Amino acid sequence: MLPFDALAVVADAAAVPVVEFPFESRYLLSTIYVSLYVSVTAVALSTLASVPLAIGVGFSEFRGKRFVTSVINTGMGFPSVVVGLLVLVTVSSQGPLGQFDLVFTKQAMIISQFVLATPPITGITLAAVTGVREDVRDAAFALGGTRADVALTVVKEARYGIATAVLAGFGRAISEVGSVLIVGGNIAGANGVSKTRTLTTAIRLEARQGRYELALVLGAVLVAVVLVVNAVVVRLGDSKTAGGGLR
Amino acid sequence: MSLDARGVTHAYDDGESDDERSGDTPGVADGGTGATPVFRDVSLSVEAGDVLAVIGPSGVGKTTLLRLLGLFARPTEGAIAVDGTDAWTAAERDRLALRRQVGVVFQEANLFDASVGRNVEYGLRVRRSWRERVRDELRGLVGDRDRPEAVREALDVVGLADYVGQDASSLSGGEAQRVAFARALAYDPNYLLLDEPTSDLDPRNTAVIEDAVADASDRGIGTVVATHDMNQARRVADRVAVLLGDGVVEVGPTERVFEDPRDDRTRQFIAGELVY
Repeated sequence: MLPFDALAVVADAAAVPVVEFPFESRYLLSTIYVSLYVSVTAVALSTLASVPLAIGVGFSEFRGKRFVTSVINTGMGFPSVVVGLLVLVTVSSQGPLGQFDLVFTKQAMIISQFVLATPPITGITLAAVTGVREDVRDAAFALGGTRADVALTVVKEARYGIATAVLAGFGRAISEVGSVLIVGGNIAGANGVSKTRTLTTAIRLEARQGRYELALVLGAVLVAVVLVVNAVVVRLGDSKTAGGGLR
Repeated sequence: MSLDARGVTHAYDDGESDDERSGDTPGVADGGTGATPVFRDVSLSVEAGDVLAVIGPSGVGKTTLLRLLGLFARPTEGAIAVDGTDAWTAAERDRLALRRQVGVVFQEANLFDASVGRNVEYGLRVRRSWRERVRDELRGLVGDRDRPEAVREALDVVGLADYVGQDASSLSGGEAQRVAFARALAYDPNYLLLDEPTSDLDPRNTAVIEDAVADASDRGIGTVVATHDMNQARRVADRVAVLLGDGVVEVGPTERVFEDPRDDRTRQFIAGELVY
């Protein structure tokens, strides 16, 4: 029995007015699934690209480095609707990825969230790795480390900052409405199973239709999901302060 | 078997960090090519088991000289040779092998955010193949990982063998510096470079480090200690190099340099009459 069903049973037994939940559990579960699938995949891919990029920029000196850093920082505030529009144009039949038929698919949503999550993950990771003291790099070098060893050591030293970066990217991805609405289309099947409907686009839909209770419940689920992810990161931080650094 | 600076002149170039420019070397007019050299034509040599103290006032370039000996940077002119091989004309892979014969302890401990054992093991770890390192990390995840005996031995030299599992961030300044010394000792280098290793330490921790230097010397490790503490130089060094002005003005056996300096600037410096 799902929590909502249980809640209704309890409320009914107590003979109090019950908030009606006119959506099926599979609708809710499939919406949560789509939200997590799209956001987690996009953030995972973005992390794989962002961390090496941030280390590359942070570790090297080149003409235009300040410009590149500015572009990354500017990307953090890039309007999501514009990103959605650009991704839609890219995946549309006339666009460069038109052959893959990605319009209104989860894959297109992943592309859109990847674009949105990459600047914050890269920017915060860059700040974290460049914030590692030069002395630590020197120590790694002095102990016989190669460039790769030094880079790996810096990543380890900056691991909590990098975790924060990933969390920030996840936060941006899962709370996103505009771009996923444009590229995903907010589609649910006639059987109530979400195809490209996420928690945020579902909230928007329910609110527009005046079903505020449902919108609030979906909002609570969304907040709960974000809280769980935050709790995992805080737990990592706690293990550090409790002396649980690298053994 | 010796670590040599041969006719080394060094001025900063644009590739060196701000720390290197400002850390110990005022008087450099600008960081670009053509800057006033920090020092000129410095020649030094330390052999196996030898302890050489480089003394001089703060800002004269002792740290820069040690960084050159540690192959952190290429000297503007001259050569750094490890066991007769010019490190900067050698191929990069060979230079890495030469660099790995040299251990460095800085003025600050610079420990990693990890346990004491993991800090001390670092030098050994980076010398293993990536395959061995990954396998070792995986074993660590299931708690089936043994630390090399060298880690405990190195910590034993500085009296911290029981600290192996402790978080490095929980150590006092003196303990952290002792761990830094053990970390440089663990992979059994042929040479040790110590940059003001006890300048922030209390007498007890200073004595531990100085005993460890003597122990390293007995094990055949050639050591260069940069210090402005002349008493320490007298305690630990077999020979002393006096770095004044823009170069080494005198090198000789410790007692001879302190009791009978041949250069008038050395005499004035030892007497405290030379002000920089």
